[in-house]
Amino acid sequence: MDWGIIAVDALQLACIYGTLAVGISITWSSLGLINLAYGFVFAAGGYGAWLAAEHLSEHGIAVMSAGILTGALFGIVVWALAFLPIHDKPNFTMRGMIATVAISLIGNQTLMWYFGPRAKALPEIFGYAQVEYAGIVLTANTAGTVASSIVLLGVVLWWMKSSRRGLEIRAMMMNPHAASLVGIGVRRTGLYVMALTGALAGLASVLLSQVYYVSPFAGTTPLIKGLAIALCGGLGSIAGALIAAVILAVNEAITAATIGGQYVLITQFGLIILIILIRPRGIAGILDRAREA
Amino acid sequence: MSEDPKQRRWRNPIARWGRNDSPDELPIQEWQDPLQPWRENRAYKVRLFRIGHFRYYWKFRGHGSRLWHRTRWWPTRRRILLLRGGYNPKTLRAEKTISDKRPVYWIMAFALMAIMPFLVPQNLTNTLLSAAAIFAIYAAINLCWMLVIGTAGIYSLATYSVVGAAAYGTAYLSIQFGMPWWSLPFFGTFIGLVFGVLIAIPAVRLDGFYYALLTLGLNELCRVYVLQSRTFGSATGGLYGAETYIPQQWSSEHQLMLGYYASVVVMIMALSLYRLVDGRRLGRILRMAPEKREAFAEACGVNYRRARIQVFLISSTGLGAIGGFYAAHFRGASPSLFGIELVSLGLAMLVIGGMRRAEGVVLGTLIVVLVRDGLVTWGPIRLILIGIIMLAAVLFLRGGLFGIKPQFRAWRDKKKSENRSTRAEKGGEMLPEESTECRDKDQVYFRRFDKMQRDFLKTLVCDEVIEEHRRQPLGQHSEALERLLLYFRRQPQRDKYAIQAIEPFKAYRIVALSGHRGVAPREVEEKTYPSQAAAYHGVFLRRVQDLLET
Amino acid sequence: MPVDRQPDDVARPDILSVRGLSAGYGPMRILHDLDLNVHAGERVGIVGLNGHGKSTLFLAIAGLTGWQRGSIQLNGHEVGGTRSQGPGRYTHRVVRRGLALIPQGDEIFHGLTVEEHLDSGAFTKTAWRERRRRKAWVLDVFPPLAKLMSVSVGRLSGGERRMVCLGRGLMSDASLYLVDEPSLGLAPKIGKSVLDTLMAIELGESAMVIAEQNVSLLEGRVDRIIGMHAGKLKGEASVSLAGAMRWEA
Repeated sequence: MDWGIIAVDALQLACIYGTLAVGISITWSSLGLINLAYGFVFAAGGYGAWLAAEHLSEHGIAVMSAGILTGALFGIVVWALAFLPIHDKPNFTMRGMIATVAISLIGNQTLMWYFGPRAKALPEIFGYAQVEYAGIVLTANTAGTVASSIVLLGVVLWWMKSSRRGLEIRAMMMNPHAASLVGIGVRRTGLYVMALTGALAGLASVLLSQVYYVSPFAGTTPLIKGLAIALCGGLGSIAGALIAAVILAVNEAITAATIGGQYVLITQFGLIILIILIRPRGIAGILDRAREA
Repeated sequence: MSEDPKQRRWRNPIARWGRNDSPDELPIQEWQDPLQPWRENRAYKVRLFRIGHFRYYWKFRGHGSRLWHRTRWWPTRRRILLLRGGYNPKTLRAEKTISDKRPVYWIMAFALMAIMPFLVPQNLTNTLLSAAAIFAIYAAINLCWMLVIGTAGIYSLATYSVVGAAAYGTAYLSIQFGMPWWSLPFFGTFIGLVFGVLIAIPAVRLDGFYYALLTLGLNELCRVYVLQSRTFGSATGGLYGAETYIPQQWSSEHQLMLGYYASVVVMIMALSLYRLVDGRRLGRILRMAPEKREAFAEACGVNYRRARIQVFLISSTGLGAIGGFYAAHFRGASPSLFGIELVSLGLAMLVIGGMRRAEGVVLGTLIVVLVRDGLVTWGPIRLILIGIIMLAAVLFLRGGLFGIKPQFRAWRDKKKSENRSTRAEKGGEMLPEESTECRDKDQVYFRRFDKMQRDFLKTLVCDEVIEEHRRQPLGQHSEALERLLLYFRRQPQRDKYAIQAIEPFKAYRIVALSGHRGVAPREVEEKTYPSQAAAYHGVFLRRVQDLLET
Repeated sequence: MPVDRQPDDVARPDILSVRGLSAGYGPMRILHDLDLNVHAGERVGIVGLNGHGKSTLFLAIAGLTGWQRGSIQLNGHEVGGTRSQGPGRYTHRVVRRGLALIPQGDEIFHGLTVEEHLDSGAFTKTAWRERRRRKAWVLDVFPPLAKLMSVSVGRLSGGERRMVCLGRGLMSDASLYLVDEPSLGLAPKIGKSVLDTLMAIELGESAMVIAEQNVSLLEGRVDRIIGMHAGKLKGEASVSLAGAMRWEA
């Protein structure tokens, strides 16, 4: 067993999963919406990047920013359909979730109808360079994935922590009623949040498409994994989601290296169920010390 | 003073005695009829809207207490039809009303289902009959699902994976060990029970979304496992070749018909299971302890944990049996049973028809299956259509199609009560809350009258009237001034203005009476008046000001 | 017929002018056609018993009731009108027009620290630019908060939370402060000190309306006291008269 490879794999997976799970977590905590259309936004981001690579330029930055922008755009679409009309109606959480399921159904089938079931490959945006250090092969792809997702996540987290908009989003997470009293518009903030999380999904899509392909249903597995990680980290907690992403990525890398790739999901869910059964609120249940009232 | 010949003039009745301190004649100011506020106040101003109507019930002859009306649905204690007996208040004829018509509609629907195969056009028989069989099976599955998601309020998305697991397990048993078709539902029941225990354990500990997402994950886990496992036919795209109850030597038309009727029987069994659980004690307990209200239910002595585990086991057992039937019907199972798409479609079926109602589930399933399996030629567009219907249902309807009527009624009632409360007029000084508290109900009417009178008197105050009073505080006055003075004189003793002579004929002051015996009047202003007439006019001005301010 | 006002009242502009405001929740009508004027630099007390509509008046001004009719002008901008759904949908716009509502009870953000909380109070654009200066001023007003700046609000006691809430309200660049029951749920001594602080704040061109159940806490310390009974504003008394007035319980 090669620990170096496992570490590199785990790092790469942790970055992608972290990007997805943080997006899901932010959406849930600030809008109270479980975004099950995240897989569709993911797939749409991949197609946006593919279209850009086909018609505009194969340059890495162009492809990546096309993916991010498409993701943000479809995040806004989800906001307009599933959040805006019903966010102050009764039983919003359930209805919102079902609305996102409907959007995901419509969206995935539209992608299927328009682009056909054949998978598309994105160009290698990080190039083919390789670095070998102490027996570990670090491809440009891995390095690029890690670097870009850490940079984008870092920027997002720093922005949430220190800017006025970030304070707005965090305040809305805690108490939407009080947030409206200090002048925060729930609808507009929802727009920012959905655009932001959509952009994260777009980035994750471009990054993951370096390994897999872009296809109409490519978003399903990442959605489920991202949801599971967000769940395991405690819905709504960014720190918890990041920790859970690292734990599950390490688990996935070790499982793939030792038992075999087809058992990844089984060990993954075993681990998640274990964590959830011990801490019903996920990892954030351990981190959170605020007084509930 | 304009000299308008038509203007009415007031003549001083004592002018002919030759008093010269007052004018003989004055023009009468334009003033309102004193009855006008009274008429206005009593007029019915509320606009009437023609909305709604009384519910119409068909009245049958005879009274509703005959013995056969007491027949019950076995084994429940429900009557066959909920009849309400009574006498027509006008004609005194004995009559009875069906208060709950749903059993009638159900029986009509079942009759329609029974003759459906003979009604469809020949060229569509194949498509429609197979679609109808799928509809009946899915409706049965959804009814069992509704026990968990609607009655218990637990969002479990692993329903189709229970069915899939049972279908795969029984198909495997049938292929490997040659189990006969009639044993498959029993084995399915067992598999479903095991699966039910597995998914019931986290349900007790987790809440809402955590559980929904976890079960979604389980679904995906099953799918990946089935797709990769060679024993479960990863190579052939499903596990096929199980024993079936449909005799192979029959013609295809008869095979389809048998399949259809068998599926409908399964659906009817699922309906009665739903009715037995949802409509009886277990359902009551579960509906009493929905999400976030468990503590309250527990305080009432409800063991909701046990009830939840029970409903999970019952529903999973039912699902397992349906899974066994599924394997026997389709001769196997395919991985699409675990797909997230089927979960979305299942949610669509529940949402379109309306949650928590058996008829809603059946109607939603009918719509979705008709679009999905009836319009196969449309390709992905038919799924987009289902998605759009589902989105519209969830955005605009609170309880699906069957919830439209109550939702419309609730909306109309809300609007009605809002409009009524915005146009609720204040009768007088007293608000409804006050008048219920007030002991002397005459006060309610008196204050109302008083307010009308003041509103009218306010219109009389003008510079001419004040000028008239200043000229001559006592004596004969014009009608307007006389009305004002009469009102002022009628005020109660408390806080009534009075004139105190500090020094007769030199200095007067205005005081206000205390209204209590032995309590001295209080001073209201510093100002002193040189003459009695000036003091009278001062009191008049204060009173006019008080009148205008109220 | 309008009553003549004192000349100095006329000179000052109206911060808030409410005309014919009715509001309620569903079939219940809480406010009945009420009119209210608040001038710049004025401190107004609204007294009345429980359930007579003091809080509803404030919520209606912020657009948080079930339905409402009637005109509400804040700094000359119409923020009222007829509305019967989406309570709170336009509250942030009213707040940006210069309203600071300090609600009854604690509307706090559990996870934020006291400092972030105060910052969130200055969320409106103009206040955000000078939030440091305003924070210093709020700390002047509530000195105990200085020690708690980095503590999560979820862990504070009731009195401290109340102070944080008031401080958050004061952080905004508002022209009208609506304070709902500042002494509610606090020990009498703390409640009194909170009110003392509110009275000591220099208003300048803004105005403050305080709702209280306890007249004696306001008597002689505000410019006007207005009684509220069954959804109507009853009699209005200037400060000289307030001492002489007896409110019927």
